Amino acid sequence: MSALITTHGLTKRYGGRTVVDGLDLRVPEGCVYGFLGPNGAGKTTTMKMLLSLVRPTSGEVRIAGRRMDRSTRRGLLSEIGSLIESPPGYGHLTGAENMRLVQRLLRLDDGQVARAVRTARLQDHIDRPVRTYSLGMKQRLGIAMALAGEPRLLVLDEPANGLDPAGIDEMRRLIRRLTGDGTTVMVSSHLLDEVDRTADVLGILGGGRMLFQGTREELFARSVPDVLVDTFEPERAAALAGAWGAVLDAGTVRVPGLGERETARLVARLVQEGVDLHGVRRETRSLEDVFMDLTREEAL
Amino acid sequence: MGSVRAELLKLKRSSSWAVVVALPLAAVASGAGNTVLAGEPLTDGWHTLWMRVVVVYGLFPLATGVAVLGSLVWRADHRGGNRNALMGRPVSALEAVVGKLAAVAVLAAAMQAVLTAGVVAAGKAVFGLPGPLPGQYLLISVLIVVVCLPVAALQSGLSMLMESFAAPVAVGLAGSVGGLLLVLLRFDAVSLAVPYGLTARATQVGTGAFMDAGTVTVGTLASMAVWALVSTVLVTVATAALLDRRDAG
Repeated sequence: MSALITTHGLTKRYGGRTVVDGLDLRVPEGCVYGFLGPNGAGKTTTMKMLLSLVRPTSGEVRIAGRRMDRSTRRGLLSEIGSLIESPPGYGHLTGAENMRLVQRLLRLDDGQVARAVRTARLQDHIDRPVRTYSLGMKQRLGIAMALAGEPRLLVLDEPANGLDPAGIDEMRRLIRRLTGDGTTVMVSSHLLDEVDRTADVLGILGGGRMLFQGTREELFARSVPDVLVDTFEPERAAALAGAWGAVLDAGTVRVPGLGERETARLVARLVQEGVDLHGVRRETRSLEDVFMDLTREEAL
Repeated sequence: MGSVRAELLKLKRSSSWAVVVALPLAAVASGAGNTVLAGEPLTDGWHTLWMRVVVVYGLFPLATGVAVLGSLVWRADHRGGNRNALMGRPVSALEAVVGKLAAVAVLAAAMQAVLTAGVVAAGKAVFGLPGPLPGQYLLISVLIVVVCLPVAALQSGLSMLMESFAAPVAVGLAGSVGGLLLVLLRFDAVSLAVPYGLTARATQVGTGAFMDAGTVTVGTLASMAVWALVSTVLVTVATAALLDRRDAG
């Protein structure tokens, strides 16, 4: 699959503070790219650099092979729809009038606007003033405004922020519908659960650096679950396994980051020392746990 | 131009219209009210009324009013994700800046229309002046709209850069006071060169107040209008260049 967005060594510094650090991003065309990371990880700054809203300190952004900068942004942005930070919209105007603004700016026909409104399922509320909209409706209006130009790429920054579970589910379905039409969607979130079921590719950012980029399966494969040793003498076992980094956790000996060979050595040592073992197992982990571990390591 | 049409649509139900109506009507009420309360007759009919309303209005409230309009026009774009959306679309910085300038210019023109209509209404209803408002005041009204353009461009640029409502209004207020001082201290050339001074001077054309010759000539009107248009272009191009270099917050 060819990449629609690539970045090379993308970096943004504000004074002495590095917000995005040498990012090599690769967003394949036609996919949903889940851009994850805790708040303050640099997701929004990265997305702003992709749109040339913010200029990188160093590195470059390429959209469909063409370099994105202030001299090329106008041409490239005609193929990109975006929703960055809070949803746009003028409260004193109705949804329809907000859509007409975009229509006038981008010189679109009525059909394009109507299709965007239908895709965002906003047609029943389109004649109401935007100040009366719920947050979910405002997000959907923002997406309709971003979609109106029928972009090849949609960049959505935390579109599910502040939505209730039903709103989050509706957002997921909307994103899936868009990729069904061939649109590439890059969607950011600080919660894995929000994009886990929608994204084809995940990029995980922490402290401005890319911690992981790949599929869900690749992320799982990268993780080594903790080994849990059940014994009648947990304190003694934990002391003996101290060299492997073991800790006592609610009566069980927990050993993190242990490969298969090292696990065998640990078990042999405990048996050799006469510790009565009645169970050795790997902890069951969710993708959320893997994500949390990755981002927590970075925070430390 | 799409951005101009889009900006004009944003004026629908905008709170800017309250300023457009209230500020010139307050100037008319103040000028007419003072005349009635002081019991001073309008010795030279429409001319005296125009001087008591429009010259005072041009000395101070006009440029400040345009500053408020500039802030109001940008205010909605500084809220939520509107600024990112504005700059995230395939619209050049120059188009975005011209769109905003057009919106402030339309409001300034409407403000002048309300002022002129207010003078006519007060002249007829309060003072029973004979005949219509002389044509030269309609011409001066057009000139006032034109000289508001550089102030509009400057204030719009300040609002864009400062991303605040009050700060550019404060600058506009300071500029108005500066323009007023230039007129009072009779710095002729400087008052014509500075946008805030130019608005004050244009409202005095034909009145003989301060440095004005008291006659309306094509040369006076044309030179003020041409300089206003040239300075508007300069400020607009500079603002667009700044916007193009500027990062989103």
